[in-house]
Amino acid sequence: MQQQQRSVQKRSSWQVTLHVWHALFMREAMARITGDRLGWLWIFVEPLAHILIFIGIRQLMGRIRHISGAEFIPWFVVGMVTFLMFSTVMNRCINAISSNRALFAYRQVHPVDTILVRAALEGTLKVLVLCLLVLGGQALALDVMPANALVVASVWLSLWLLALGAGLVLSVPVTVVPEFAKFVTMLTMPLYFLSGVIFPIQFLPREVREFLLYNPIYHAVELSRGAFFPHYQLLPGISLQYLLFWALSLVLLGLMLQLRYKARLMAQ
Amino acid sequence: MSILSTNEPPMIAVDSLYKRYHGPFGGDWVLKDVNFSIPRGISVGLVGRNGAGKSTLLRLLGGMDTPDKGRIVQNCQVSWPIGLGGGFQGSMTGRQNVKFVARIHGGEARIGQIIDFVQDFAEIGKAFDQPVKTYSSGMRSRLAFGLSLAFDFDVYLSDEATSVGDASFKAKATAAFRERIGSASLIMVSHSTGILKDLCQAGIWLHQGQAIWYDKLDDAINDYHNSIGKA
Repeated sequence: MQQQQRSVQKRSSWQVTLHVWHALFMREAMARITGDRLGWLWIFVEPLAHILIFIGIRQLMGRIRHISGAEFIPWFVVGMVTFLMFSTVMNRCINAISSNRALFAYRQVHPVDTILVRAALEGTLKVLVLCLLVLGGQALALDVMPANALVVASVWLSLWLLALGAGLVLSVPVTVVPEFAKFVTMLTMPLYFLSGVIFPIQFLPREVREFLLYNPIYHAVELSRGAFFPHYQLLPGISLQYLLFWALSLVLLGLMLQLRYKARLMAQ
Repeated sequence: MSILSTNEPPMIAVDSLYKRYHGPFGGDWVLKDVNFSIPRGISVGLVGRNGAGKSTLLRLLGGMDTPDKGRIVQNCQVSWPIGLGGGFQGSMTGRQNVKFVARIHGGEARIGQIIDFVQDFAEIGKAFDQPVKTYSSGMRSRLAFGLSLAFDFDVYLSDEATSVGDASFKAKATAAFRERIGSASLIMVSHSTGILKDLCQAGIWLHQGQAIWYDKLDDAINDYHNSIGKA
């Protein structure tokens, strides 16, 4: 009986994968909580810090403009949290392979598993942050309840897919050529501004706006705001379909790259 | 090849295996047309000089790496390569690492049992709840060995897993494997011939990319020692 229990059972590929995802999820969650001294606290303090700093800057500069259909602070907070969801999930995914390298000693664990699990964990955390911010705003008597929660959910899911896709794609060059990480950091910095998080893109000239509409993250930020504030004016051309097109293409490309370069990604 | 004459299919069959690592300046073949098969229940000692490809062969057998050409057929459950070369996430504690490995092997249901077993076998005391990066190599090896023994594999792959342990641990590890002879076998890389002779019957000498099979380990060790001019 004892012998029977101890033996390693034959499992189907799916069962093995599910066991690996569970194990990785528990490990990642533990690492996130106990990783540094701030642990859990930082997950909630980080977006709050971003929000307070930028609101402070705007107040000092006295340039609070009127945004049609929304108050500035909720408008800014929704855009910021949406953008942070993308950038955090993507950045955590990019580093997933190198931070779990030791675990590839077990043939059950594939590089792509670490990325999928990280994206799931980080996405869950960001949804929690959003919920807490909404409830907190409500407690402060700010009108931040989403007008259409289902649309918020579908936009966030699409943006999460986009972040996962970007993570799957970029983790390949970053893991194989670590120097590439510097370029990624440089390239993602202007995204903050190009996605209309701080500055309303509606105020820019038409030529610039049309150029910025190529950025799928901007679509997600605006769609998110549109779902929160019932009278918010969306620019023509903002579409969930465009966002999803990018998200699914990147996920597909990413999975292909992960398959093609698996051996290189696992190499020490 | 007398042991192979039985009708039973071999436990592990390696068929014209090629492996090389691509560095920036290309790479020579580490393993070049390697062929052998291991009958069920036979433990094998791998010998060869440093860089002969012993660890590479173990990684291939453990499924950590894929061959460039050729194939490996396994009719058994094979462990991960147990040894110094990793398998533990340094930032996680011993306990967390054990939990992780238990889970990926589908052992969630008896995770408590596994933890007790490993803790008991490794005897590293409070360090079990410290990050693995703070461990000495001996402590790591105790943990790695105990962890692998918590699962009943048909074949255990050991890459110098016992070499850094102290005398009492070596004795314990040897005893643990002695107990399993008959139900499990071992493919072992070690530079200490003592432990090889204790635990293995057959031998493979890796020499210039080739693997030479010996039904008797002593012959493999002799040929290897002769080749390096050690009588």
